[in-house]
Amino acid sequence: MTLVVGLIFLLTAVFLILPVVTTVLMAFDSRDYLGPFPPQGLSLQWFDKLWDEQYLWAGFYTSLIVASAATLISSIVGTLAAVAMSRMTGAARDVLSSLFLSPLIVPGVIIGFALLMLFSALGIGSPLTRLIAGHLVITIPYSIRMALIGLLGVKSSLREAALSLGANEIQAFLTINFPLAKSSIAAGAVFAFAFSLDDLAISLFLSDFNTFTLPVALVGLLRSSFDLTIAAAAVGLMGVTLILLLVLDRTVGLDRVVGLSVDKA
Amino acid sequence: MNVLELKRVSKSYGSFLAVDDVSLTIEKGAILSLLGPSGCGKTTTLRMIAGFTAPNSGSVIINGSDVGHLKPYDRNVGLVFQDYALFPHMTVFQNVAYGMKYRGIAASEIPARVARMLGLVRLGSMEGRYPRELSGGQQQRVALARALATDPQVVLLDEPLSALDAKLRLELRLELKEILRSVEATTIVVTHDQEEALSLGDEVVVMRDGRIAQRGSPTAIYNDPADRFVAEFVGRSNWFNAGNWRDAANGFVNYESVAGISICGQAKPNTSGKVDLCIRPENIDVLAAGEPATMDENTMPGTVVDVAPLGADVHIVIDIDHGPRVLAIQKSGSQRTSFGVGQSVRIGFSPADVLVF
Repeated sequence: MTLVVGLIFLLTAVFLILPVVTTVLMAFDSRDYLGPFPPQGLSLQWFDKLWDEQYLWAGFYTSLIVASAATLISSIVGTLAAVAMSRMTGAARDVLSSLFLSPLIVPGVIIGFALLMLFSALGIGSPLTRLIAGHLVITIPYSIRMALIGLLGVKSSLREAALSLGANEIQAFLTINFPLAKSSIAAGAVFAFAFSLDDLAISLFLSDFNTFTLPVALVGLLRSSFDLTIAAAAVGLMGVTLILLLVLDRTVGLDRVVGLSVDKA
Repeated sequence: MNVLELKRVSKSYGSFLAVDDVSLTIEKGAILSLLGPSGCGKTTTLRMIAGFTAPNSGSVIINGSDVGHLKPYDRNVGLVFQDYALFPHMTVFQNVAYGMKYRGIAASEIPARVARMLGLVRLGSMEGRYPRELSGGQQQRVALARALATDPQVVLLDEPLSALDAKLRLELRLELKEILRSVEATTIVVTHDQEEALSLGDEVVVMRDGRIAQRGSPTAIYNDPADRFVAEFVGRSNWFNAGNWRDAANGFVNYESVAGISICGQAKPNTSGKVDLCIRPENIDVLAAGEPATMDENTMPGTVVDVAPLGADVHIVIDIDHGPRVLAIQKSGSQRTSFGVGQSVRIGFSPADVLVF
């Protein structure tokens, strides 16, 4: 029995990790064409090429701006919505919670197309504004969800204790509820940033020739010149993610960000 | 002088009347226990005093002024929550100091004042600890120190000892009482635990279905309960459903019990119809089958079902022949404890100890 479980565990791990390992190894391939795995020799040529790839850098900058703006706005809006929802009764909260999560079950392509139509009708022409607004549709649900988990984890007696000790509603929120829920809110921000950075479907519709996100640029590059610059870009992105996770671990604690201990705070 | 007064306070949730026309006063420095089963309205009463729940009618008066419309933070009511509600992200010092800045205590005064409060609850060395690093009893004392730190006009304790294990509960109960006395805090203790209520309170208010069933000293509540509910809720009791009385003599009458034996008890004024007779277990003597009873005692034959020696007391359960099952509590070491299961015995109790409802 334990053997079977162990085997399943191992297979799952291999299945999850193998593509990453393959990508990392291929990024250091010394051949100047896309050859079969494994690489015969190692070099940094694809990173050199990546460094000079202005098209990808432009996409990266746009992605950073869009993801940062979307994360900031959705964290604020999401937290405020979650505060209101955390004070509702169970039934009303469940309905609203499902409603706010509903954008996640609509395919990104449909959201992208619908937004493109809407923005044209409204006359919102700035692609940056359109991208940020579009990404908010998929980041706000995560922010609300995570903030709600965090806020619901704070016992109502704590707030009442603060009120009985003389703090008003706002002071009680700022000194008690918010600090105790902040790791969950931070986790929501990480999710929002990651999903914004990762989004292709919506961004494809809302990008134009001058303003496009990194995933859009990668797909464009894949079409025009199919080489291992993309693998190098992937390694670069992993590096950025790793740094982000390290920073988060040092500031709020990684176990809290992934939500294993929201109530402990 | 009354520090707190509830005047005909009522609160309903939909069609459910949680608190029904309750009036209550408490004097400065007194400890009042609010005792009742869950759903009796005691917690709602506490929340109305604290300001978390607004009464539908009636007024809450603290030190002469009606605070019914004031928010919790505009009253000065100290609260100790059942789960202590210590702020987990703050140290013991920060927890105790929390209310001080909002209650207008100068920042320079706070450290000395926190130290004094922690000294009061004997946690002087724990300033820098976080709540999770404290035992349950220590957390309870921090919660008390925090509630007392702002010199509240009224202190409310919500089931203060229910989260602690039995031995610690006894220790802390005494300590809690000493601390509350020493700072002369006007206190209301809400509890469903009758021992807690009787031991902490100078006075006890028993609540039932949103109303006050009885108010009195702990002794009066136990020895002279107002009705069957109070008698059953406070302490242990044995019950006989009796018929009408007959043969009155010397203030005592004979009630016809179901077992076909009459029980002599105090005459109840204006008795009509059936009455219930209650005898506290410690007032029942267990007699061997042949042992003579005192002349005027009620006696009934029965069979021993269980004998449980519980330290100072021995609990003996007896099935009365053709009658109910009764519990008798005898002091350990008395001769009246050496009975075996299945043995035929008699129980005896004085007519003066029979409570009639």
